[in-house]
Amino acid sequence: MSGMAPPPPPRGRHLTARDALVVAVIVVFLLVIMAGRSVRHAGKEMSSGWERTLVLAVGEPAGWLADRLPLQSLVADVTKPLRSGDDLSSGPGGFDSTAAATATGAAPVTPDAFDPAALGARPAAPRPLKTVLVTGDSMSMPLDAEVARRLAGGSIKTLRDPHVGTGLSITGIVDWGKLSVNQVKNKTPDAIVVFIGANEGFPLKYAGRQVSCCGPAWAAAYATRARTLMNTYRQSGAARVYWLLLPGPRDPDRQKISKAVNLADTVAAQPYRAQVRLLDMAAIFTPGFRYRDAMSVDGQDTIVRRTDGIHLNDAGSSIAADEVLKALRADYGDQVGG
Amino acid sequence: MVFPTIEFAVFFPPVLALSWALMSRPRIWKPFILAMSYVFYAAANPRFCLLLGGVTLANQAGAALVQRAGDERRKTLVTATVVTLDLVGLGIFKYYGFFAQDIDRVLSSVGLGLGLPLTTIALPVGLSFFTFQAISYIVDVRRGLCERGSTIDVALYLSFFPHLVAGPIVRAREFLPQLATPRDPKDVAVGSGVFLICLGLVKKVVLADLIARQLVDPVYAVPEAYGGPDVLLALYGYAAQIYCDFSGYTDIAIGLALLMGFVFPRNFDRPYSAKSFREFWRRWHMTLSRYLRDFLYIPLGGNKGGRVKTIRNLMITMVLGGLWHGAAWGFVLWGFVHGAALAVERVIRGRISAPAWVRWLIVFHVVVLAWVLFRAPDFSTAGTVLERLFSGGPATLFDPVVVIAVVLSIGLQLLPERPIVALRHRLEAANPVALAAALTVTIIVVGSTVPGGAVPPFIYFQF
Repeated sequence: MSGMAPPPPPRGRHLTARDALVVAVIVVFLLVIMAGRSVRHAGKEMSSGWERTLVLAVGEPAGWLADRLPLQSLVADVTKPLRSGDDLSSGPGGFDSTAAATATGAAPVTPDAFDPAALGARPAAPRPLKTVLVTGDSMSMPLDAEVARRLAGGSIKTLRDPHVGTGLSITGIVDWGKLSVNQVKNKTPDAIVVFIGANEGFPLKYAGRQVSCCGPAWAAAYATRARTLMNTYRQSGAARVYWLLLPGPRDPDRQKISKAVNLADTVAAQPYRAQVRLLDMAAIFTPGFRYRDAMSVDGQDTIVRRTDGIHLNDAGSSIAADEVLKALRADYGDQVGG
Repeated sequence: MVFPTIEFAVFFPPVLALSWALMSRPRIWKPFILAMSYVFYAAANPRFCLLLGGVTLANQAGAALVQRAGDERRKTLVTATVVTLDLVGLGIFKYYGFFAQDIDRVLSSVGLGLGLPLTTIALPVGLSFFTFQAISYIVDVRRGLCERGSTIDVALYLSFFPHLVAGPIVRAREFLPQLATPRDPKDVAVGSGVFLICLGLVKKVVLADLIARQLVDPVYAVPEAYGGPDVLLALYGYAAQIYCDFSGYTDIAIGLALLMGFVFPRNFDRPYSAKSFREFWRRWHMTLSRYLRDFLYIPLGGNKGGRVKTIRNLMITMVLGGLWHGAAWGFVLWGFVHGAALAVERVIRGRISAPAWVRWLIVFHVVVLAWVLFRAPDFSTAGTVLERLFSGGPATLFDPVVVIAVVLSIGLQLLPERPIVALRHRLEAANPVALAAALTVTIIVVGSTVPGGAVPPFIYFQF
């Protein structure tokens, strides 16, 4: 063989393969005793498949060991100052507490369950619109930037708070129950735009048992979580919530999940129709829930989805932003520019 | 599977242990590592494995035909056919949606709408990297620079998990010889490997993601909302972010390979210390630069045909190099700007002299400004960013931690290399227990800085 040879090995001290394995074993051991619970938790939050099995095969015994040692808590205390973002490790609103609350008998229907406009009544004036929060999982990007751009320069401040890789049925990265409480407390938004649902389908607890996606029990458990968020965001009726339903995804398995999520969101919003607006992205992007990459925009065929067949691309997000601004204007009038 | 995740932390140690346990028996070791590499790749999408396998078999079959072909014409024909197939595959997966829509619009505007199916196709992770490596293999076989490897060796070359999804772009003649004999278990650069993994984690998770989250993403999302000082800092910030993100990934990739006994070529060498554009491209994404030089610039004629042809070749190489990064006109224009800068530099070389610091200042700032085209989602946003750069306004994003992160990421590249290398060698010479402790502390510290526990994807994954 002629020409280019393998690159020269790095200079400096070389050890043996045994040393490499010693390093790996020590690192694994230290991480197990100091972060074993995180491995177990991460495994439990993963969708079913070989990766989950693999992570849990390590995570279960690692978590068991870490439970019996004080090191993980110690490490958490030591590294606390390094943590960035909102600390949601404690605080109210977590989904666990929501799941524990069960109603008995028929829940009373309140006037909040009706959109006054639909009944020809005059809607109660919301709090003046000073701050719009656009939040959700990766679905909310780049919608958040598009909304912010449209509202830039006016008197309305736009806050963007996307949490990629999160979902209502997965609490490993973010517990949206706690996060929503935190967002309302720290950002005091007057209008909240929510676009979430790209990472759903994880098993949920309903009536004390684990249920898989996407039957009625799962949808009920999901709707309970969505309703918790909607209730937090509407701030006892003072704020308005713009909840975007999912456009149909390309993958048939994901379609099943998205349909269940949309149905659950619709049911979840029922008690709060006076404040929660559902913006049906499926009707715009995937009529009949039939997936399409492109649609006619201003008379021109335009690709509106990203290559993953889940998210909206820039053109799609621009259309979604149109809908959001239209809904904001319906509630707040012409002060909403864009 | 992404390197800084729990999945990979669970996957890698047993693979490393079994790899060394089986190393002395290549007949078992090779299928094992091949299987593990495909498992690694299947985590993204198992269907993509078919494409990886297809590219491997097509190029290996092509290499066999090249070797068997009697005359030069036939060898060239086979090579051209296989390279075309590789590029067609890359084009369909990576560029179809982009070109179909733009071509459709242009044709419609002149009344010649063809009704091209406007569809998006999922981009297999790492496609650009393994396709380029496959092309390098068959072309080097055709050129006689590399012998045809066995099918399993070629499959391993293309799929070896440390470099599979985002490089570095390792050439066949660098990698295949390392498969010829088992790696020596008594000569493993453990210290360098651990050091690079730690460095890569810090660069990616601590520096790049912090700068992106707190500075670059907000400005590029709504540039209208920020004044000149914030935009200026975001411009420097993106230069720091993309360097830390991509070089961080390759540091981890090279470090993992070293622990397994393999050596990859260097991919970054303090690029922001460059005092010419030519030097910048010898220091930035070095494996792509030399690839474009060897497989595009030189075959086009390089600098052999006079000044005009040299400039033409430079422009073609850089524009296509820009397009390699993604299906967007911003990448094309970014490549054009770099091509133009290289061309201007070539024209004025020897005619104008300037002190080293002036040359550095010019090169660095042209590079930083060109990144705007690379980062902005569209020309309109790029225009707004540049417009806002010259506007007034308060500095709302000047957080001391972020500023320090940007200054460190760029500033450390400007320091003399020798003392840093000496310090690095001292750190790498530590005993295995100290190395393990350093890696554990790094993982824990890095992990605790991730908001919500999720590491954003590496920028170069999309390429």
